[in-house]
Amino acid sequence: MKIKLFAAALLSVPLAAQWLTYKTPGIPRTPDGKPNLSAPAPRTADGKPDLSGVWRGPMRSAYTQNIAVDLKPGEIQPWAQALYQQHVRNLGADSPRAHCLPDPPPYYHLAGLARIVQTPAMTLIVNEGISNSGVTRTIFTDGRGLPEEMNPTWLGYSVGHWEGDTLVVTTAGFNDKTWLDFSGHPHSEALRITERFRRRDFGHMDFEMTLADSKTFTRPITLKANKTLAADTELLETICENNDQIAQHLVGGNGFRVAPETLAKYAGTYQVAPGREAVITVDGESLALRLNPSGDIQNLAAQSETTFVGRGNGIEVLTGDQLEFVKDSSGAVTGLILHGRRGEQKAVRKTAALGAR
Amino acid sequence: MHKLAIILCVMSVSLTAQWPNHPTPGMPRTPDGKPDLSAPAERSADGKPDLSGVWAVRNGNALFYITSGLKPEEIRPWAAALYQQRADDFRRDTDGIACLPPGPKAGFAVGAAPMKIVQTPSLVVVLYEYHTIFRQIFTDGRALPKDPNPAWMGYSVGQWDGDNLVVATAGYNDRTTLDLAGHPHTEALRVTERFHRRDTGHLDLQVTFDDPKAYTRPFTVPVEFDLIPDGDLIEYVCENERDRPHLVGKRGEEFRAPAEVLARYIGTYESPVVASGVVVSLEGSRLMIDTGEGKVPLFANSENSFTMEGTGVEFSKDDKGVVTGMLQHWTEGDRYFPRRK
Repeated sequence: MKIKLFAAALLSVPLAAQWLTYKTPGIPRTPDGKPNLSAPAPRTADGKPDLSGVWRGPMRSAYTQNIAVDLKPGEIQPWAQALYQQHVRNLGADSPRAHCLPDPPPYYHLAGLARIVQTPAMTLIVNEGISNSGVTRTIFTDGRGLPEEMNPTWLGYSVGHWEGDTLVVTTAGFNDKTWLDFSGHPHSEALRITERFRRRDFGHMDFEMTLADSKTFTRPITLKANKTLAADTELLETICENNDQIAQHLVGGNGFRVAPETLAKYAGTYQVAPGREAVITVDGESLALRLNPSGDIQNLAAQSETTFVGRGNGIEVLTGDQLEFVKDSSGAVTGLILHGRRGEQKAVRKTAALGAR
Repeated sequence: MHKLAIILCVMSVSLTAQWPNHPTPGMPRTPDGKPDLSAPAERSADGKPDLSGVWAVRNGNALFYITSGLKPEEIRPWAAALYQQRADDFRRDTDGIACLPPGPKAGFAVGAAPMKIVQTPSLVVVLYEYHTIFRQIFTDGRALPKDPNPAWMGYSVGQWDGDNLVVATAGYNDRTTLDLAGHPHTEALRVTERFHRRDTGHLDLQVTFDDPKAYTRPFTVPVEFDLIPDGDLIEYVCENERDRPHLVGKRGEEFRAPAEVLARYIGTYESPVVASGVVVSLEGSRLMIDTGEGKVPLFANSENSFTMEGTGVEFSKDDKGVVTGMLQHWTEGDRYFPRRK
């Protein structure tokens, strides 16, 4: 079988040390000099909470791989489901990230560092970028509304207003080229995102994001991604390069399709080791794997009737890892073998599961 | 001869209208509601001039060919050779072609897209429309990092000198060029920028490049910016880097025209665009042409036919062999420049 290269494996990131231990001025500190993250939130001259600072997202989130994780199958419009499945089969070779293009909008909140710079008329969000170039956004808070005619953009147009101590930001005017997650859920140009920022205290920000795109999903998707202040550090310059030269070598998937009734036979719980289980679910025309109850759900694209290949840059399953189902002489699925980069793991089937979730 | 694409043609710009003509709050205005660009510059709450705004570079002669104030011997031989190689290759391997950041020339390269300055007391953020690149200029009193890892945009600290914001930047990598012409720099480069907001509508900048490994002395280039009132940046995501493999770069072997032949082309040619005319001069065995944006080399294809940045240039002569004019073959059509008597 061909060795495959994948988007996540080819990111070249020059990491640069920039004042990484410089004490951030103006931060309240405990007597031992540590940042006092539970001190009250600062306020600007006009009395609003000041959101300024370098913030870190929750890092681990199921939404990174699959924004539709809470949706029922019928809640994704058929065209979007078909395109999503195509993206899964292509193993990310056609993802924006494979071409150094912007990441899913939610991802900038889920992982990595971002600096918020709040001024009365506008608030900037400067994203460090993870394995991809950083991006910047301007949120206008001068009372303007969204433009009536918006030429589609990667990052959209944002306006914000205050509801009490919460900054509510509305963004629209997206193009339809970004993905909403790394598995490949698409969206339409009708996407509208509402973000709610509330700085609870000096070191903590409650953050909630709602994605509404009725052309793609029958109901809005809401996720939380609370932020923690990253004190005494700095953003790193992150520039995505060379993907233009590498992307042409991405072979994508082989497009193999497994019949739904066969996929359903693989769904179930498999024991990797005592206390460690792998759960296989059917995700439309492909499979999904969860190796850890709190871990990411990894998409598996079919490569043959019994072998699948991992997608995404999860902790347990790396992109390109192979997963093979084992059957007994009667054809019943008895286990699976994960051919990972850290060796081979066998798992024995415990129960059949409900099939499609 | 191959058709050659040049840098300016390769840039992919997704132009998008974003709040066209949205009135900027706090903008001083004349009685008829227009922005008063000659009103005194605004000041921030701490009394410093407020540099905040969306600024567009006014193209200047020195910006395309940023070393035009230097004598040839003030450019180190390796830097001159690398420049020449890039010119020979039509800058196929320079930063912008590969969708890479512009480094120190961001904001003021010829034809640079606008930049937005957002000034706060401890931090000045510059958002560049080009590539959605940003810079952070720390004004909280910190010093430059001692041994930073090389970065595309370097590390910047600023301090106020009267009404001038003086920004020191170091820690660049050596992969960007100082101008679109392709002049190189090393990781030793230090850039000092003096920003002065003359009035509401005008920002003056003096940029000093100090890179003793590439240039024997520091040199300073003046840059002027005009405010874009009531406007904003337009999203710019570089996504056509896939064009790059198709750039052929290097031309065929250059024709070696005798110096006495080249000398006949020296002179000034009338231009409808540049009042002072297009100036053709000879440096060593190379014809140089200045169309108002600094001198660039002319490469000989034959005794009479040359290439300027991928554009064909031919000289016309009368029946006695006296040069009478210059014809440029642009994509938009031919342009004729009669020779000034």
